[in-house]
Amino acid sequence: MIVTEKLSRIYKQGDFIIKAVDNISLKIQKAEFTAVVGPSGSGKTTLLNCIGGLDTPSLGKVIIDDENISNFKRDQIIKYRLNNIGFVFQSYNLIPVLSAKENVEMIMLLQGYNKKFRSERSEDLLNQVGLYEMKNRRPSQLSGGQQQRVAVARALASKPKFILADEPTANLDSISTNKLLDIMYKLNQDEKITFIFSTHDQRVIDRAKRVISLEDGKIFNDQKI
Amino acid sequence: MNFLTLLKLGWRNIWRSKLRSLVVIFSIIIGVWGGLLILGIMYGLNNQRMDIAINGYIGNVQIHNENFLDDYAIKHVINNIDKYENFLSKDSRVKAYSKRIVLSGMLSNSNGSSGIQVLGVNPSSEKNVTKIYSKLIEGEYFKSKKNNTILVGKKIADKLNLKLKSKVVITFQDEKNNLVSLLFRVEGIFRSGNSMFDESNVYVKNQSIRDNLVNFIGFHEMPIVIYENIETDSSLDLTDALKKDLKKIDNTNIIQSWDDIAVELAYANKMISAFLYFFMLIVISGLSFGIINTMLMAVLERKRELGMLMCIGMTRLKIFLMISIETLFLALIALPFGLIFSYFMINYFSVNGIDLSIVAAGLENFGIGTMLYLKLPLNYYYEIGLMIIVITIISSVFPSIRALKINPIEASKNI
Repeated sequence: MIVTEKLSRIYKQGDFIIKAVDNISLKIQKAEFTAVVGPSGSGKTTLLNCIGGLDTPSLGKVIIDDENISNFKRDQIIKYRLNNIGFVFQSYNLIPVLSAKENVEMIMLLQGYNKKFRSERSEDLLNQVGLYEMKNRRPSQLSGGQQQRVAVARALASKPKFILADEPTANLDSISTNKLLDIMYKLNQDEKITFIFSTHDQRVIDRAKRVISLEDGKIFNDQKI
Repeated sequence: MNFLTLLKLGWRNIWRSKLRSLVVIFSIIIGVWGGLLILGIMYGLNNQRMDIAINGYIGNVQIHNENFLDDYAIKHVINNIDKYENFLSKDSRVKAYSKRIVLSGMLSNSNGSSGIQVLGVNPSSEKNVTKIYSKLIEGEYFKSKKNNTILVGKKIADKLNLKLKSKVVITFQDEKNNLVSLLFRVEGIFRSGNSMFDESNVYVKNQSIRDNLVNFIGFHEMPIVIYENIETDSSLDLTDALKKDLKKIDNTNIIQSWDDIAVELAYANKMISAFLYFFMLIVISGLSFGIINTMLMAVLERKRELGMLMCIGMTRLKIFLMISIETLFLALIALPFGLIFSYFMINYFSVNGIDLSIVAAGLENFGIGTMLYLKLPLNYYYEIGLMIIVITIISSVFPSIRALKINPIEASKNI
């Protein structure tokens, strides 16, 4: 379970103080399919960054499975991210010189898994996202939708507790979006993987089982569907 | 993530921007090649200068009377010369030796006069010690049956307008300080490669001096050549060892190795090594700026990707290593090409030489002949290769640190 307790992230910009996240407390249960929505500057990305251990809260804490990750030291949080959190980026951010399979294997390499395990798991994950046949292609040989599916497979490779996805469909057409959402939804249903999206995309919001709406760094609506 | 994966990733990364990597690789190749070529020229110049001096007129070791060096008087002959001859003729380190009468005098003809050093030699034994016989540009090496023939340097020949068969008079002081004048006829004109030597030294048969100084006995100088042409490290040891042994024979004589006699040459020889490395260090340092610049560009270009790697949990050490490996690869690809090109080019010119007769006068003033033979011992290739690797590793630190400064949040544009 992911818990934020009175979480605030305050930035100083010249003489101005910006509260990107303002006193947010929420709980996200395992296997939730949650969308964090809101206009630009509402704080959804900062919230996800704090949950993902990429940003340090100014006040409050982030507790994941009873562990307060806000107090972790740099090396500790890097290791924590590696083993517990999957990331899906808006621009896929695959390594261009590696094949789809190697991109998926990358995270397992960092975790120190052996070659056989890495190979089997990466092929299995690529199979799940429907890209087994394209496992040897490099990112430049894949469409945007396919690259994002590889990114999902990569995020799953480390067997994370949850996956944070920042506007995963922002660069995709509707067919690719639907296909990606189908895959993520299926993984959520079948393997009970927790997904947290930040998004503007109505198609994602429509598929989410919980929608947290932010405005000016605060939750103004938290709706379970 | 093991080291092999970092290597694989590094290797693939450098070929992302082929043109940029190739530009750096070529600049390293050209830098190494150019640098080593210059080193080959400088080492070759020094080597030739030493060769001309040691094998041309000095020899490896010389024996003189201890007073002779302070006062070039005819009376200061080598004491107990028979003992030296006896020792040298049996010593396996010794290739050859000769005995010379050395006189300070004045060479004159109708065109003028010039202060000179007269080297009275036995033509056949001198041939084994010095190469002056092979440096004749006109005439012959003491082929005449007459004793009063002389070999003069090109420079003095020009100065006094001497031709073959020209008559010259040498004036010097005998044992009783009386002036003695002897008439000689030019039999040969030599060009040793050192214009200073050519201007101040003449060779005559020692018999011609003895014929005119009936009371004079002995020799002033014994040049000795050991079994190494050029003063490599091993022959330096041999020279020192021989010097030590010769010193035991008679302490009224002085034993000098070539580096005691030609101090400036020895100093240049000692300096050359440090100078060559220093020169190469400057070249490589220049190259390192190109490497740093390229890698910084590569890091900034891949900011997002590096940010992503940081996000998913790649440690700072691994990112540092990855960038360092990429930098090192650039040098490792270029290095063998640079070294091999240089090796073949230096080897080619070490045999065929470079004809520098267009600047012959300047080179001869410096003590070098007109043909320049390049030379560079193999250890320079290894050591400079190592130097490049070390400087590349140092260069890789800057882009690697720059990579570590990337903020993963900003770099990956949100999570």
